[in-house]
Amino acid sequence: MKHRESLISAHHNYLVDDMLTPGFLLGELSSREEFFFLADVVPSGESGPRISGRLFDREGRFLVELSGGEMVQNPSGCTLQSFSGGFRLIHPSGETLLNVNTHVFTNGFMTRIQGRLFDHNGKLRAEPSRESIKISGGGKPALEKPER
Amino acid sequence: MNERSYSGIWIFGDYRNYFQNRVTLQLIAKARGLARTLKTEVTVLLLGDHVHQYAMEYVAHGADVVMVVDHAALRHYQVETYTKVVAGLVAEYRPEIFLAGATPFGREFFPRLAKRIGTGLSADCVALEIDPESGLLIQTSPSFGGDLLADVVTPDHRPQMATVHPGVFEEQPHNGSAMARIVYPQVEIESDDRVQILRSRAEQKGKVRLEDAPVVVAGGRGLGSREHFDKLFELAELLGGEVGATRPAIRSGWAGNERLLGQTGKSVKPKLLITIGTSGALQYTTGVQGSETIIAVNRDPDAPVFKIADLGLVGDARTILTLLLEKLRKRL
Repeated sequence: MKHRESLISAHHNYLVDDMLTPGFLLGELSSREEFFFLADVVPSGESGPRISGRLFDREGRFLVELSGGEMVQNPSGCTLQSFSGGFRLIHPSGETLLNVNTHVFTNGFMTRIQGRLFDHNGKLRAEPSRESIKISGGGKPALEKPER
Repeated sequence: MNERSYSGIWIFGDYRNYFQNRVTLQLIAKARGLARTLKTEVTVLLLGDHVHQYAMEYVAHGADVVMVVDHAALRHYQVETYTKVVAGLVAEYRPEIFLAGATPFGREFFPRLAKRIGTGLSADCVALEIDPESGLLIQTSPSFGGDLLADVVTPDHRPQMATVHPGVFEEQPHNGSAMARIVYPQVEIESDDRVQILRSRAEQKGKVRLEDAPVVVAGGRGLGSREHFDKLFELAELLGGEVGATRPAIRSGWAGNERLLGQTGKSVKPKLLITIGTSGALQYTTGVQGSETIIAVNRDPDAPVFKIADLGLVGDARTILTLLLEKLRKRL
Protein backbone atom coordinates (compact mmCIF):
# COMPACT_ATOMS: atom_id res chain seq x y z
CA MET A 1 0.00 0.00 0.00
CA LYS A 2 1.42 3.37 -0.96
CA HIS A 3 1.43 6.19 1.51
CA ARG A 4 2.52 9.78 1.76
CA GLU A 5 4.37 11.03 4.79
CA SER A 6 5.13 14.37 6.40
CA LEU A 7 5.82 15.98 9.74
CA ILE A 8 3.09 17.45 11.92
CA SER A 9 3.26 20.07 14.64
CA ALA A 10 0.96 20.08 17.66
CA HIS A 11 0.68 23.87 17.41
CA HIS A 12 0.33 24.98 13.79
CA ASN A 13 0.36 23.34 10.38
CA TYR A 14 -0.15 24.30 6.76
CA LEU A 15 -2.38 22.16 4.58
CA VAL A 16 -0.38 21.28 1.47
CA ASP A 17 -1.71 18.81 -1.07
CA ASP A 18 -4.22 17.75 1.59
CA MET A 19 -1.42 16.88 4.02
CA LEU A 20 -0.46 18.72 7.17
CA THR A 21 3.06 20.07 7.45
CA PRO A 22 4.62 22.46 10.00
CA GLY A 23 6.22 24.44 7.18
CA PHE A 24 7.63 24.24 3.66
CA LEU A 25 10.00 26.06 1.37
CA LEU A 26 9.91 26.35 -2.39
CA GLY A 27 13.05 27.59 -4.12
CA GLU A 28 16.18 28.98 -2.48
CA LEU A 29 15.98 31.41 0.41
CA SER A 30 19.54 32.59 -0.12
CA SER A 31 18.88 33.92 -3.61
CA ARG A 32 18.33 37.68 -3.79
CA GLU A 33 16.48 37.77 -7.09
CA GLU A 34 15.02 34.39 -7.80
CA PHE A 35 11.73 32.83 -6.76
CA PHE A 36 11.12 31.48 -3.31
CA PHE A 37 8.04 30.82 -1.19
CA LEU A 38 8.37 30.13 2.50
CA ALA A 39 5.53 28.99 4.75
CA ASP A 40 7.65 28.98 7.86
CA VAL A 41 7.28 26.95 11.05
CA VAL A 42 5.22 28.86 13.62
CA PRO A 43 6.74 28.54 17.10
CA SER A 44 4.49 27.64 20.00
CA GLY A 45 3.11 30.89 21.40
CA GLU A 46 2.63 32.63 18.03
CA SER A 47 -0.85 32.59 16.56
CA GLY A 48 -0.47 33.45 12.88
CA PRO A 49 1.23 31.95 9.84
CA ARG A 50 4.65 33.13 8.69
CA ILE A 51 4.46 33.71 4.94
CA SER A 52 7.30 35.12 2.87
CA GLY A 53 8.07 34.89 -0.82
CA ARG A 54 9.31 36.43 -4.01
CA LEU A 55 6.58 35.89 -6.58
CA PHE A 56 6.62 36.09 -10.37
CA ASP A 57 4.02 35.93 -13.12
CA ARG A 58 3.73 33.22 -15.76
CA GLU A 59 6.14 35.16 -17.98
CA GLY A 60 8.76 35.17 -15.23
CA ARG A 61 8.31 38.89 -14.42
CA PHE A 62 8.86 39.91 -10.82
CA LEU A 63 5.57 40.84 -9.13
CA VAL A 64 5.97 41.24 -5.41
CA GLU A 65 8.03 40.23 -2.40
CA LEU A 66 6.41 39.32 0.90
CA SER A 67 8.13 39.10 4.24
CA GLY A 68 6.24 37.94 7.33
CA GLY A 69 2.92 38.45 5.55
CA GLU A 70 3.72 42.03 4.49
CA MET A 71 4.77 43.45 1.11
CA VAL A 72 8.35 44.68 1.08
CA GLN A 73 8.68 45.12 -2.72
CA ASN A 74 5.77 45.70 -5.03
CA PRO A 75 6.73 46.89 -8.52
CA SER A 76 3.57 45.42 -10.05
CA GLY A 77 1.13 47.34 -7.84
CA CYS A 78 -0.46 44.37 -6.11
CA THR A 79 -2.72 44.94 -3.14
CA LEU A 80 -2.77 43.03 0.10
CA GLN A 81 -6.23 42.62 1.63
CA SER A 82 -6.47 41.49 5.22
CA PHE A 83 -9.53 39.76 6.56
CA SER A 84 -10.44 37.95 9.72
CA GLY A 85 -8.18 34.90 9.79
CA GLY A 86 -5.91 35.76 6.89
CA PHE A 87 -5.06 37.84 3.84
CA ARG A 88 -5.19 37.74 0.07
CA LEU A 89 -2.77 39.16 -2.48
CA ILE A 90 -4.46 40.63 -5.54
CA HIS A 91 -2.86 41.48 -8.87
CA PRO A 92 -3.91 44.80 -10.53
CA SER A 93 -5.76 42.69 -13.11
CA GLY A 94 -8.06 41.50 -10.31
CA GLU A 95 -6.63 38.00 -10.16
CA THR A 96 -6.06 36.62 -6.66
CA LEU A 97 -2.45 35.49 -6.56
CA LEU A 98 -2.49 34.12 -3.07
CA ASN A 99 -5.09 33.43 -0.41
CA VAL A 100 -3.95 32.61 3.12
CA ASN A 101 -6.60 31.58 5.62
CA THR A 102 -5.96 30.38 9.18
CA HIS A 103 -8.45 28.20 11.04
CA VAL A 104 -8.36 28.35 14.82
CA PHE A 105 -8.81 25.10 16.72
CA THR A 106 -9.21 24.75 20.46
CA ASN A 107 -5.49 24.19 21.02
CA GLY A 108 -3.87 25.03 17.71
CA PHE A 109 -4.12 26.51 14.21
CA MET A 110 -4.13 25.36 10.62
CA THR A 111 -3.47 27.53 7.59
CA ARG A 112 -4.77 26.88 4.10
CA ILE A 113 -2.83 28.49 1.27
CA GLN A 114 -4.37 28.74 -2.17
CA GLY A 115 -2.91 30.27 -5.27
CA ARG A 116 -1.00 29.75 -8.47
CA LEU A 117 2.68 30.57 -8.01
CA PHE A 118 5.27 30.87 -10.78
CA ASP A 119 9.03 31.09 -10.46
CA HIS A 120 11.44 33.44 -12.23
CA ASN A 121 11.42 31.14 -15.28
CA GLY A 122 7.64 31.22 -15.47
CA LYS A 123 7.44 27.64 -14.28
CA LEU A 124 4.38 26.69 -12.22
CA ARG A 125 5.48 25.87 -8.65
CA ALA A 126 2.17 25.81 -6.80
CA GLU A 127 -1.41 25.34 -7.94
CA PRO A 128 -4.79 24.83 -6.29
CA SER A 129 -5.56 21.29 -5.17
CA ARG A 130 -8.91 20.54 -3.52
CA GLU A 131 -8.78 22.63 -0.34
CA SER A 132 -5.11 23.51 -0.44
CA ILE A 133 -2.21 23.81 -2.88
CA LYS A 134 -0.07 21.29 -4.63
CA ILE A 135 3.60 22.18 -4.78
CA SER A 136 6.33 21.05 -7.14
CA GLY A 137 10.01 21.59 -7.83
CA GLY A 138 12.96 21.99 -5.49
CA GLY A 139 12.71 23.00 -1.87
CA LYS A 140 11.85 21.49 1.47
CA PRO A 141 8.36 20.01 1.75
CA ALA A 142 8.42 19.60 5.54
CA LEU A 143 10.35 21.97 7.79
CA GLU A 144 11.18 20.92 11.31
CA LYS A 145 12.16 24.35 12.63
CA PRO A 146 11.83 27.98 11.50
CA GLU A 147 13.99 28.97 8.52
CA ARG A 148 13.88 32.64 9.46
CA MET B 1 2.47 -16.58 12.58
CA ASN B 2 5.82 -14.85 12.61
CA GLU B 3 5.43 -12.36 15.42
CA ARG B 4 8.81 -10.82 14.61
CA SER B 5 7.23 -9.20 11.57
CA TYR B 6 4.76 -7.31 13.74
CA SER B 7 5.84 -4.15 15.50
CA GLY B 8 4.52 -0.94 16.94
CA ILE B 9 1.64 -0.02 19.19
CA TRP B 10 -1.48 1.33 17.55
CA ILE B 11 -4.29 3.18 19.22
CA PHE B 12 -7.60 3.81 17.52
CA GLY B 13 -8.29 7.56 17.66
CA ASP B 14 -11.82 7.79 19.04
CA TYR B 15 -12.35 11.54 18.81
CA ARG B 16 -16.12 11.57 19.15
CA ASN B 17 -17.03 13.94 21.96
CA TYR B 18 -13.28 14.62 22.10
CA PHE B 19 -13.07 17.13 24.91
CA GLN B 20 -15.04 14.91 27.30
CA ASN B 21 -13.96 11.50 26.09
CA ARG B 22 -10.27 11.42 26.98
CA VAL B 23 -9.66 7.70 26.74
CA THR B 24 -7.59 7.90 23.55
CA LEU B 25 -5.27 10.38 25.26
CA GLN B 26 -5.07 8.13 28.31
CA LEU B 27 -4.14 5.22 26.05
CA ILE B 28 -1.42 7.25 24.33
CA ALA B 29 0.17 7.97 27.71
CA LYS B 30 0.02 4.32 28.74
CA ALA B 31 1.23 3.12 25.35
CA ARG B 32 4.30 5.34 25.59
CA GLY B 33 5.37 3.41 28.66
CA LEU B 34 4.71 0.08 26.94
CA ALA B 35 6.55 1.30 23.83
CA ARG B 36 9.63 2.18 25.86
CA THR B 37 9.76 -1.41 27.10
CA LEU B 38 9.27 -2.80 23.60
CA LYS B 39 11.53 -0.15 22.00
CA THR B 40 8.89 0.77 19.47
CA GLU B 41 6.60 3.64 18.42
CA VAL B 42 3.09 4.70 19.34
CA THR B 43 0.83 5.32 16.35
CA VAL B 44 -2.66 6.78 16.56
CA LEU B 45 -4.92 5.71 13.71
CA LEU B 46 -7.42 8.39 12.78
CA LEU B 47 -10.33 7.89 10.39
CA GLY B 48 -12.81 10.58 9.41
CA ASP B 49 -13.45 13.65 7.33
CA HIS B 50 -11.47 16.84 8.10
CA VAL B 51 -9.86 15.42 11.21
CA HIS B 52 -6.79 17.70 11.16
CA GLN B 53 -7.51 19.11 14.61
CA TYR B 54 -7.53 15.69 16.23
CA ALA B 55 -4.29 14.67 14.51
CA MET B 56 -2.66 17.71 16.12
CA GLU B 57 -4.20 16.93 19.50
CA TYR B 58 -2.82 13.40 19.47
CA VAL B 59 0.66 14.73 18.67
CA ALA B 60 0.38 17.20 21.55
CA HIS B 61 -0.47 14.33 23.89
CA GLY B 62 2.45 12.10 22.94
CA ALA B 63 1.84 10.16 19.71
CA ASP B 64 5.02 9.39 17.75
CA VAL B 65 3.08 8.86 14.53
CA VAL B 66 -0.42 9.79 13.43
CA MET B 67 -1.85 7.72 10.58
CA VAL B 68 -4.72 9.54 8.91
CA VAL B 69 -7.34 8.31 6.47
CA ASP B 70 -9.30 11.47 5.69
CA HIS B 71 -12.23 10.86 3.38
CA ALA B 72 -15.80 12.11 3.07
CA ALA B 73 -17.09 8.52 3.20
CA LEU B 74 -15.63 8.21 6.72
CA ARG B 75 -17.44 11.21 8.11
CA HIS B 76 -19.96 9.03 9.90
CA TYR B 77 -19.04 5.75 11.51
CA GLN B 78 -20.30 2.88 9.38
CA VAL B 79 -19.19 -0.40 10.77
CA GLU B 80 -18.61 -2.24 7.51
CA THR B 81 -16.63 0.59 5.92
CA TYR B 82 -14.52 1.20 9.01
CA THR B 83 -13.86 -2.52 9.53
CA LYS B 84 -12.77 -2.99 5.93
CA VAL B 85 -10.45 0.02 5.96
CA VAL B 86 -8.82 -0.73 9.31
CA ALA B 87 -8.46 -4.46 8.64
CA GLY B 88 -6.65 -3.57 5.41
CA LEU B 89 -4.31 -1.20 7.24
CA VAL B 90 -3.55 -3.78 9.93
CA ALA B 91 -2.73 -6.38 7.26
CA GLU B 92 -0.40 -3.92 5.56
CA TYR B 93 1.37 -2.27 8.50
CA ARG B 94 1.18 -5.20 10.98
CA PRO B 95 1.06 -3.54 14.41
CA GLU B 96 2.04 -5.72 17.34
CA ILE B 97 -0.53 -4.22 19.71
CA PHE B 98 -3.78 -2.42 18.88
CA LEU B 99 -5.76 -0.63 21.59
CA ALA B 100 -9.03 1.29 21.77
CA GLY B 101 -11.12 2.86 24.49
CA ALA B 102 -13.97 0.80 25.86
CA THR B 103 -16.42 3.46 24.79
CA PRO B 104 -19.73 2.53 23.14
CA PHE B 105 -17.88 2.98 19.84
CA GLY B 106 -14.89 0.84 20.81
CA ARG B 107 -17.12 -1.85 22.24
CA GLU B 108 -18.96 -2.19 18.96
CA PHE B 109 -16.11 -1.69 16.52
CA PHE B 110 -13.19 -3.59 18.05
CA PRO B 111 -14.86 -7.01 18.41
CA ARG B 112 -15.89 -6.87 14.74
CA LEU B 113 -12.43 -5.82 13.74
CA ALA B 114 -10.77 -8.56 15.79
CA LYS B 115 -13.04 -11.15 14.20
CA ARG B 116 -12.24 -9.83 10.73
CA ILE B 117 -8.50 -9.86 11.39
CA GLY B 118 -8.64 -13.25 13.09
CA THR B 119 -7.11 -12.34 16.43
CA GLY B 120 -8.22 -12.21 20.04
CA LEU B 121 -9.60 -9.26 21.98
CA SER B 122 -9.67 -8.53 25.69
CA ALA B 123 -12.57 -6.25 26.55
CA ASP B 124 -12.79 -3.51 29.18
CA CYS B 125 -9.25 -3.94 30.45
CA VAL B 126 -8.29 -2.19 33.66
CA ALA B 127 -4.51 -2.72 33.39
CA LEU B 128 -1.93 -3.34 30.66
CA GLU B 129 1.66 -4.43 31.14
CA ILE B 130 4.42 -6.04 29.11
CA ASP B 131 5.55 -9.44 30.39
CA PRO B 132 9.31 -8.99 30.89
CA GLU B 133 10.11 -12.55 29.79
CA SER B 134 7.89 -13.11 26.78
CA GLY B 135 7.35 -9.49 25.72
CA LEU B 136 3.64 -10.26 25.45
CA LEU B 137 1.00 -7.74 26.42
CA ILE B 138 -0.68 -8.75 29.67
CA GLN B 139 -4.26 -7.56 29.39
CA THR B 140 -6.03 -7.47 32.75
CA SER B 141 -9.74 -7.79 32.23
CA PRO B 142 -12.69 -8.42 34.57
CA SER B 143 -14.05 -11.91 33.94
CA PHE B 144 -16.81 -14.23 35.12
CA GLY B 145 -19.30 -11.43 35.50
CA GLY B 146 -16.72 -9.22 37.11
CA ASP B 147 -15.92 -11.52 40.01
CA LEU B 148 -12.36 -12.14 38.85
CA LEU B 149 -9.62 -10.13 37.24
CA ALA B 150 -7.99 -12.25 34.55
CA ASP B 151 -4.56 -11.65 33.05
CA VAL B 152 -4.95 -12.47 29.39
CA VAL B 153 -2.20 -12.88 26.79
CA THR B 154 -2.41 -13.43 23.05
CA PRO B 155 0.60 -15.62 22.24
CA ASP B 156 -0.37 -16.93 18.82
CA HIS B 157 -2.13 -14.13 16.98
CA ARG B 158 -1.40 -10.55 16.08
CA PRO B 159 -2.10 -7.83 16.78
CA GLN B 160 -2.74 -8.21 20.49
CA MET B 161 -5.98 -6.28 20.82
CA ALA B 162 -7.67 -4.78 23.86
CA THR B 163 -10.27 -2.21 24.74
CA VAL B 164 -9.48 -0.25 27.87
CA HIS B 165 -11.84 1.25 30.35
CA PRO B 166 -11.87 5.09 30.36
CA GLY B 167 -10.29 6.72 33.40
CA VAL B 168 -7.94 3.87 34.22
CA PHE B 169 -4.84 5.70 32.98
CA GLU B 170 -3.80 9.35 33.23
CA GLU B 171 -3.32 11.39 30.05
CA GLN B 172 -0.15 13.40 29.46
CA PRO B 173 -0.46 17.19 29.53
CA HIS B 174 -0.88 19.02 26.20
CA ASN B 175 2.51 19.90 24.71
CA GLY B 176 2.16 22.54 22.00
CA SER B 177 5.83 22.21 21.01
CA ALA B 178 5.57 18.54 20.06
CA MET B 179 6.29 17.30 16.54
CA ALA B 180 5.63 13.87 15.07
CA ARG B 181 5.35 12.00 11.80
CA ILE B 182 2.06 11.95 9.93
CA VAL B 183 1.31 9.17 7.46
CA TYR B 184 -1.47 9.19 4.87
CA PRO B 185 -2.04 5.67 3.45
CA GLN B 186 -3.56 5.59 -0.01
CA VAL B 187 -6.70 3.61 0.77
CA GLU B 188 -9.45 2.71 -1.67
CA ILE B 189 -12.68 3.41 0.17
CA GLU B 190 -16.04 2.04 -0.79
CA SER B 191 -19.04 3.25 1.14
CA ASP B 192 -21.44 0.75 2.54
CA ASP B 193 -24.41 1.20 0.21
CA ARG B 194 -26.71 -0.74 2.49
CA VAL B 195 -26.68 1.99 5.11
CA GLN B 196 -27.19 5.68 4.49
CA ILE B 197 -26.77 8.02 7.43
CA LEU B 198 -29.14 10.92 7.01
CA ARG B 199 -28.21 12.81 10.16
CA SER B 200 -26.79 12.23 13.59
CA ARG B 201 -27.40 14.07 16.81
CA ALA B 202 -25.97 13.79 20.27
CA GLU B 203 -28.06 12.20 22.98
CA GLN B 204 -29.44 14.86 25.30
CA LYS B 205 -27.97 14.22 28.71
CA GLY B 206 -28.09 16.05 31.97
CA LYS B 207 -25.08 17.99 33.14
CA VAL B 208 -23.75 15.12 35.21
CA ARG B 209 -19.98 15.46 35.63
CA LEU B 210 -19.31 12.63 38.01
CA GLU B 211 -15.66 12.47 36.98
CA ASP B 212 -15.00 16.01 38.25
CA ALA B 213 -17.09 15.90 41.44
CA PRO B 214 -15.07 16.15 44.69
CA VAL B 215 -17.72 14.09 46.46
CA VAL B 216 -19.65 11.20 44.99
CA VAL B 217 -22.58 9.55 46.74
CA ALA B 218 -23.31 6.19 45.18
CA GLY B 219 -26.29 3.96 45.72
CA GLY B 220 -27.05 0.34 45.00
CA ARG B 221 -29.86 -2.16 45.22
CA GLY B 222 -29.60 -2.19 49.03
CA LEU B 223 -31.51 1.10 49.09
CA GLY B 224 -34.56 -0.89 48.16
CA SER B 225 -36.62 1.68 46.29
CA ARG B 226 -36.57 4.75 44.07
CA GLU B 227 -37.87 6.77 47.00
CA HIS B 228 -34.80 5.95 49.08
CA PHE B 229 -32.42 6.32 46.17
CA ASP B 230 -33.76 9.85 45.57
CA LYS B 231 -32.52 10.80 49.04
CA LEU B 232 -28.98 10.45 47.67
CA PHE B 233 -29.58 13.61 45.64
CA GLU B 234 -30.23 15.60 48.79
CA LEU B 235 -27.17 14.08 50.43
CA ALA B 236 -25.04 14.94 47.39
CA GLU B 237 -26.36 18.49 47.38
CA LEU B 238 -25.58 18.95 51.07
CA LEU B 239 -22.02 17.71 50.48
CA GLY B 240 -21.47 19.54 47.18
CA GLY B 241 -21.22 16.35 45.20
CA GLU B 242 -22.85 14.18 42.57
CA VAL B 243 -24.84 10.97 42.60
CA GLY B 244 -23.59 7.72 41.10
CA ALA B 245 -25.27 4.36 40.84
CA THR B 246 -24.51 0.69 40.45
CA ARG B 247 -25.80 -1.35 37.53
CA PRO B 248 -28.65 -2.94 39.59
CA ALA B 249 -29.85 0.53 40.66
CA ILE B 250 -29.83 1.70 37.03
CA ARG B 251 -31.67 -1.45 35.95
CA SER B 252 -34.30 -0.75 38.61
CA GLY B 253 -34.88 2.59 36.93
CA TRP B 254 -33.75 4.66 39.91
CA ALA B 255 -31.19 6.65 37.90
CA GLY B 256 -30.16 7.27 34.29
CA ASN B 257 -27.31 5.46 32.61
CA GLU B 258 -25.15 8.61 32.76
CA ARG B 259 -24.75 7.95 36.52
CA LEU B 260 -23.46 4.41 36.12
CA LEU B 261 -20.19 3.76 37.95
CA GLY B 262 -17.77 0.94 37.31
CA GLN B 263 -16.47 -1.22 34.55
CA THR B 264 -19.18 -0.38 32.02
CA GLY B 265 -19.84 3.12 33.34
CA LYS B 266 -17.66 5.92 34.66
CA SER B 267 -14.48 5.71 36.67
CA VAL B 268 -14.28 8.31 39.43
CA LYS B 269 -11.58 9.42 41.83
CA PRO B 270 -13.30 11.88 44.20
CA LYS B 271 -11.90 13.06 47.49
CA LEU B 272 -14.83 11.34 49.20
CA LEU B 273 -17.00 8.46 48.04
CA ILE B 274 -19.98 7.42 50.14
CA THR B 275 -21.28 4.16 48.80
CA ILE B 276 -24.58 3.05 50.26
CA GLY B 277 -26.35 -0.24 49.75
CA THR B 278 -23.73 -1.45 47.29
CA SER B 279 -22.34 -4.95 47.70
CA GLY B 280 -18.98 -4.16 46.11
CA ALA B 281 -19.00 -6.35 43.00
CA LEU B 282 -15.72 -6.13 41.14
CA GLN B 283 -17.27 -4.49 38.09
CA TYR B 284 -18.38 -1.66 40.39
CA THR B 285 -15.28 -1.30 42.57
CA THR B 286 -12.92 -1.10 39.56
CA GLY B 287 -14.55 2.24 38.76
CA VAL B 288 -14.41 3.76 42.26
CA GLN B 289 -11.37 2.31 43.99
CA GLY B 290 -9.24 5.34 43.09
CA SER B 291 -11.32 7.52 45.46
CA GLU B 292 -9.24 9.16 48.21
CA THR B 293 -11.59 8.21 51.05
CA ILE B 294 -14.33 5.63 50.83
CA ILE B 295 -17.16 5.26 53.33
CA ALA B 296 -19.26 2.17 52.74
CA VAL B 297 -22.66 1.25 54.17
CA ASN B 298 -24.02 -2.27 53.93
CA ARG B 299 -25.97 -4.56 56.20
CA ASP B 300 -23.75 -7.56 55.36
CA PRO B 301 -20.48 -7.38 57.32
CA ASP B 302 -18.86 -9.66 54.74
CA ALA B 303 -19.84 -7.52 51.76
CA PRO B 304 -16.83 -7.08 49.44
CA VAL B 305 -17.31 -3.30 49.45
CA PHE B 306 -15.73 -3.15 52.91
CA LYS B 307 -12.45 -4.40 51.43
CA ILE B 308 -11.97 -1.07 49.61
CA ALA B 309 -13.53 1.10 52.33
CA ASP B 310 -11.61 3.35 54.71
CA LEU B 311 -14.64 3.44 56.99
CA GLY B 312 -17.37 0.81 57.01
CA LEU B 313 -20.81 1.08 58.59
CA VAL B 314 -22.68 -2.19 59.03
CA GLY B 315 -26.40 -1.56 59.05
CA ASP B 316 -29.52 -0.99 57.00
CA ALA B 317 -28.71 1.38 54.14
CA ARG B 318 -32.04 3.19 54.30
CA THR B 319 -31.84 3.80 58.04
CA ILE B 320 -28.27 5.04 57.96
CA LEU B 321 -29.00 7.29 54.97
CA THR B 322 -31.97 8.83 56.78
CA LEU B 323 -29.95 9.41 59.94
CA LEU B 324 -27.07 10.87 58.00
CA LEU B 325 -29.38 13.32 56.26
CA GLU B 326 -30.94 14.39 59.54
CA LYS B 327 -27.52 15.07 61.05
CA LEU B 328 -26.27 16.97 58.02
CA ARG B 329 -29.39 19.10 57.72
CA LYS B 330 -28.84 20.28 61.29
CA ARG B 331 -25.14 20.99 60.84
CA LEU B 332 -25.19 22.68 57.42
